[in-house]
Amino acid sequence: MTSAPLETVAAPERRRRLRPSGGQDLVFRVVLRCAGAAVLLLMVLVGTFLFTKAISALRLAGWSFLTTEEWEPDSGHFGIAAVLTGTILIAGVAISIAVPLATGMALYVSEYAPQRLRRILINMIDLMAAVPSVVYGLWGFAFLQAHVIGLARWLSTYFAWFPLFKVTGSDPRDPLATETIYTSSTFIAGMVVALMVAPVICSIMREAFSQAPIGEREGAYALGATRWGMVRSVVLPFGKGGMIGGTMLGLGRALGETIAVYLIISPVFVIQPHILQNGANSVSALIALRYGESGPVALSALMAAGVALFILTLIVNFAAGSIVARSRSGAESEA
Amino acid sequence: MLRRVTRVVLAAAAAVTLTFLLTGSPPAATAAGPYVPVNGAGSTWSENAIRQWASNVQQYGMRIDYAGTGSTDGRNQFASGLVDFGVSEIPYGKDDNAAAEAKPKFKYAYMPIVAGGTAFMYNLSIGKNRVTNLRLSGDTLVKIFTNVITKWNDPAIKADNPGLALPARKIVPVVRSDGSGTTAQFSTWMANQYPSLWNAYCARAGRKTPCGVTSIYPTIAGTATTAQSSSTGVAAYVAQDASVGAITYVEYSYALNLHFPVAKIRNKADYYIEPTAPSVAVALLKAKINNVQGSQDYLTQDLRGVYTNADKRTYPLSSYSYMLIPVDEENDRFKVAKGKTLGDFAYYFLCEGQQQADSLGYSPLPKNLVEAGIAQVKRIPGVDVKAINLSGCHNPTFSSDGSNTLAKNAPQPRACDKVGPVQCTTGTGGAKSETPTSNGGNKNNNNTNHSSGGTGNSANPASTAGTGTPTAGSTAGAVIDPDTGQVVGGTGGGGADSVSAIPVSLSNQLDPTLKLVLIIVACALLLGLTVGPPLIARLLHGGGRR
Repeated sequence: MTSAPLETVAAPERRRRLRPSGGQDLVFRVVLRCAGAAVLLLMVLVGTFLFTKAISALRLAGWSFLTTEEWEPDSGHFGIAAVLTGTILIAGVAISIAVPLATGMALYVSEYAPQRLRRILINMIDLMAAVPSVVYGLWGFAFLQAHVIGLARWLSTYFAWFPLFKVTGSDPRDPLATETIYTSSTFIAGMVVALMVAPVICSIMREAFSQAPIGEREGAYALGATRWGMVRSVVLPFGKGGMIGGTMLGLGRALGETIAVYLIISPVFVIQPHILQNGANSVSALIALRYGESGPVALSALMAAGVALFILTLIVNFAAGSIVARSRSGAESEA
Repeated sequence: MLRRVTRVVLAAAAAVTLTFLLTGSPPAATAAGPYVPVNGAGSTWSENAIRQWASNVQQYGMRIDYAGTGSTDGRNQFASGLVDFGVSEIPYGKDDNAAAEAKPKFKYAYMPIVAGGTAFMYNLSIGKNRVTNLRLSGDTLVKIFTNVITKWNDPAIKADNPGLALPARKIVPVVRSDGSGTTAQFSTWMANQYPSLWNAYCARAGRKTPCGVTSIYPTIAGTATTAQSSSTGVAAYVAQDASVGAITYVEYSYALNLHFPVAKIRNKADYYIEPTAPSVAVALLKAKINNVQGSQDYLTQDLRGVYTNADKRTYPLSSYSYMLIPVDEENDRFKVAKGKTLGDFAYYFLCEGQQQADSLGYSPLPKNLVEAGIAQVKRIPGVDVKAINLSGCHNPTFSSDGSNTLAKNAPQPRACDKVGPVQCTTGTGGAKSETPTSNGGNKNNNNTNHSSGGTGNSANPASTAGTGTPTAGSTAGAVIDPDTGQVVGGTGGGGADSVSAIPVSLSNQLDPTLKLVLIIVACALLLGLTVGPPLIARLLHGGGRR
């Protein structure tokens, strides 16, 4: 419907472009190319910098860098097996909480909310994204943690058969059992990170949902679909690319989240798959924790951990890019 | 129009004169001293004092920005010229990271700023009553922090606390995850006093032994030990309601601020002492200060004498905190302009600031260190050298005859603080409420075999010392469980104000099979309620059409 008049307008423009483009156009194009190239250049520079700083530690540790769990750089014993697993676990928890939350928020805002409420909600979600992460961290440490213990205990009591929810050393029958075993865990850090990435994911999903073509929506209604039926058959399939892209972007942010995680976790240097249990770790929190107090070797080791995180984030983002590019809504939103 | 303009001008002029009249001196003061802001970073141990002093000198127009990022970070930032001054508990090159540690390339010196005690703040309750009078001896303390003792009802803790029937709760030692001077002070004490326990722990944690002084506390995964960053972090963690059973090491001031108790630590004279200002001052009389003026480590401390100080008022984990200052010459960061601010700030806290040390939870510096500190201030490049009249400082340690008044007049510990069957009931740190003890505590000062009207003490002295034999004074028939310290069987009731039973809230325990059945039923119901109605509706609908 809308594309037909656009094409008729575009046709004469295309003919005009046959003339060699003028000075203004050329300048504009050069500026844009430079901006684009600068982004690439920056990424390459960051990568090269990290790699050159990290190379001495990588040479010292060799392949064991990927398999060692401890972090004692000054005695030459260090690796990212524990911290990288911890990072992925925290991000995993964050995403599995944030995605349903963000999907719900985005669907409500774009499809159900009345016009006036919608504007307020969008502002609130943007505000959520603007709150500094240290505020989330402090809130998580001082407030949320105490309130999540009950949930964590309940999960570990009834779902301990699921390996991730196991808590070693917990005894729900012991009235004197310490509750600290459920604090400073991957789960709580993940929850706080979820709240931080949810608005980002939500905004992208909302954009994708709101671009679902009006004709198809009307078509679904005309065929007798309820609103939910329309959402399911038109909006969700159309927004799939945006959903996946938003999730991946959120994942990228969750992987790199530093200060909130730093404030909450109790760092351990073993692979800790029990997400409800005290003790977690992440690459970025490790860097924040140890950066200020490191000698040259330790600093280089931290840079190496940074390289690992950098590569992981790049992979995630590239994967997200390719998925979004392949989908319909992504193609639309990119154009 | 013109009239309105004149009125506005007049009003503005009146306002300006009024502000001048009201405030008066500040503009004059700023005119006298154009202070350049300086910033520092480091120790969280002494952060509370530095922050208070920094806010005190704000009225003179000085801006001191201080970031409590840990001593290790403070030393590193100072060395790499990121801050104007650093604050650290230990000098450069004293911990296990000495080889890798960067030292400043410019001239620097140590200046003592305040004394204090590394306190052991805990969160523990018996039933609903918060314990505020815990006592610990050195080896018990080390065993707690090295995961040898894991329960609060351990016989070793019981032996220290004969008056308390501590619950079978897990001990959660909370340690620092970042590089910390408090950790360094604590590990210095452990490495010096209990090397075998400390080294065994380090070996289990995968560190090289002998482990010695470390700024980063080694932790073993799977133990109850929890690591948190910064003093504020560990203290806030222990203060949470969920952290019952936790104990951590922080400067005394943190416990005061959070209204939490600290453990009294046993000294060489067999008294359990709290890290108050006088007991820290007494302890530090035995600190050996490096008096070699030319030495790089001039004024640094050797605390071995403090740990073994035989004065019965001693708190053994006392120490001085140090500021790292650039001296003699400008460096890349520290220019002459900053010298005036840093110098005046130093003059302030070395002189007047020390009065506040006690109320903040620290202990004032003695006269010799204040004098040495003031001499160090003179070396700061660009300092506005002042002649400080020491008698005007009103430092509680100063006296006319050169002795340390605070230490001299320090109160003698009470009899109930001595090792023995009686335990003081009074609170410690920021928690001033009393904790009832089963043996009456300081309320009845005849400390042995006290039995009131034949009812007997529920936890009698001898059994708590680990022998398990009832003594003459106690009622026959009251058998005491060696593990919990509670009376089992028998009818021996407690003394007048002693309660030996520990109320514990228990949830009703269900039979496991019944529980499983109930879970399944609940799930089925939930599923039926959500999925059922639409399914039934569809079935009915479909049936009708057919």
